Amino acid sequence: MRPVVVAGAGMIPFERRDEDSLVGMMAVAGLNAMDDAGLGDRAVDAVYVGNMASGLFNHQVSVASALVDRLSLMPAAADRIENGPASGGSAIKNGFLAVASGYADIVLVVGGEKMREVIGPKATDIVAAMTHPSAEYIYGVTLPALAGLFTRLYMEKYGVTREHLTMVAIKNQENGLLNPYAHIRMKITMEGVLTHPQAHINSPIVADPLHLYDCCPVSDGAAAVLLTTEEIAKELNKPIVTIDGVGQATDTHTLQERSDPTDLKAVTVASERAFSMAGLKPKDVDVAELHDAFTILEIAESEHAGFFPKGEGAKALEAGETRIGGKLPINPSGGLKARGHPVGATGVAQAVELVWQLRGEAGDRQVKKATTGFSLNFGGFGNNVLAFVLRRKS
Amino acid sequence: MSNITAYKCKSCGLVMYPHHFRCLQCHKREFEEITPSEKGKLLTFTIVEQLPWGFDERGRVLGVVEFDNGVKALGVILAESPKIGMKLKAGWDSVRMIGDQKVYGLTFEPA
Repeated sequence: MRPVVVAGAGMIPFERRDEDSLVGMMAVAGLNAMDDAGLGDRAVDAVYVGNMASGLFNHQVSVASALVDRLSLMPAAADRIENGPASGGSAIKNGFLAVASGYADIVLVVGGEKMREVIGPKATDIVAAMTHPSAEYIYGVTLPALAGLFTRLYMEKYGVTREHLTMVAIKNQENGLLNPYAHIRMKITMEGVLTHPQAHINSPIVADPLHLYDCCPVSDGAAAVLLTTEEIAKELNKPIVTIDGVGQATDTHTLQERSDPTDLKAVTVASERAFSMAGLKPKDVDVAELHDAFTILEIAESEHAGFFPKGEGAKALEAGETRIGGKLPINPSGGLKARGHPVGATGVAQAVELVWQLRGEAGDRQVKKATTGFSLNFGGFGNNVLAFVLRRKS
Repeated sequence: MSNITAYKCKSCGLVMYPHHFRCLQCHKREFEEITPSEKGKLLTFTIVEQLPWGFDERGRVLGVVEFDNGVKALGVILAESPKIGMKLKAGWDSVRMIGDQKVYGLTFEPA
């Protein structure tokens, strides 16, 4: 396999974007990545679009074909990649394989989702369509509900408290204040979320024990990376950030069929596979972007990916190790919690943040001397997970 | 009485629900169809305040129950103060409307 370089990274601010179309958002993010790479008029060989549900959210399908048209990239190959909330990660994996194998020299990967075109309960229903039709969906299961079932067990088993969950929310929203692309840009406090007489109004229950500030927002947005060979990247004269490890793994569709439902096996295996391909260990990572769609997930993933022993993630969080300036900053971008979670865009936005961090272009939220980054894109409720290791070459 | 079918692997004995074409454990393809026993215990639960489009309801309790014969399934928990480990009795009732059609599923009351 050939080394694969991320030569360009770009996105648009995640928020509610009533004026924009899905394909329009993805086109702007794509242009940002192409311009960042200084691609000029070079031909893009292939385009991979990460998108979960344009057919349901926007009544539009074949969005990869629509995107190459808007960007006049024809006759580039173009595919939409659907893998639930890990669609963005899967699109990057496909782009990586295309360059690594020699099938393509220049690949544009764009992730996008426009969720706010429908009302909230409808968006919840569309996202819930990834659950098991007869064993979960019919009961009114939502993704927050699955996370609630998981959180109760995790709290019981490992002594994770609502204070710990709120610490994730506070940290990531503080980081989000430093990220001009973040959807939620608001400081919150332990008092306002947990102890104030009006805390139950500020952060009402969504799926007990999870409250509003434990959940990511529903966002519109798009992000893109331009992947190419080392040779072309040198011609483009950009700092060299390579994708050194890609790992993916799956688990049972329903949570109840896992012999230990608190064990996120797909996270462990995907991470091990990514580290093994990169020839690195979790201790080599300087900055991580984890899939904190719910606060509990940042804690659980930080353990399952190998950064902390099981049950120790909350302690590391409490000790400040995962803050910017800590031993292993997690989600300096604000994560899904603050940056937002337009589902198909998320895996790509994580890669964009890592590229900015590894190049030293992350502004006020820059993690000092970061040369190795890790990202984790969590699909379904942990039934399809992708992990990536990115490195800055000196 | 519940109305679901679970599957017991004829080779390794693993009990599965919902259906798989190959055993989760030994990958064999022969199963005995079994019905869950009447009672079970609550493994975990959540109280869902924000249900999807199509529900005119708040505060629905959803939980995972392990039946006495090993079948595990998710259903609607009809208990005022649910607790992990509580004994429950299975029922079968309308759990949602899709269009004007009632959809039936598992419900659980304290045993």
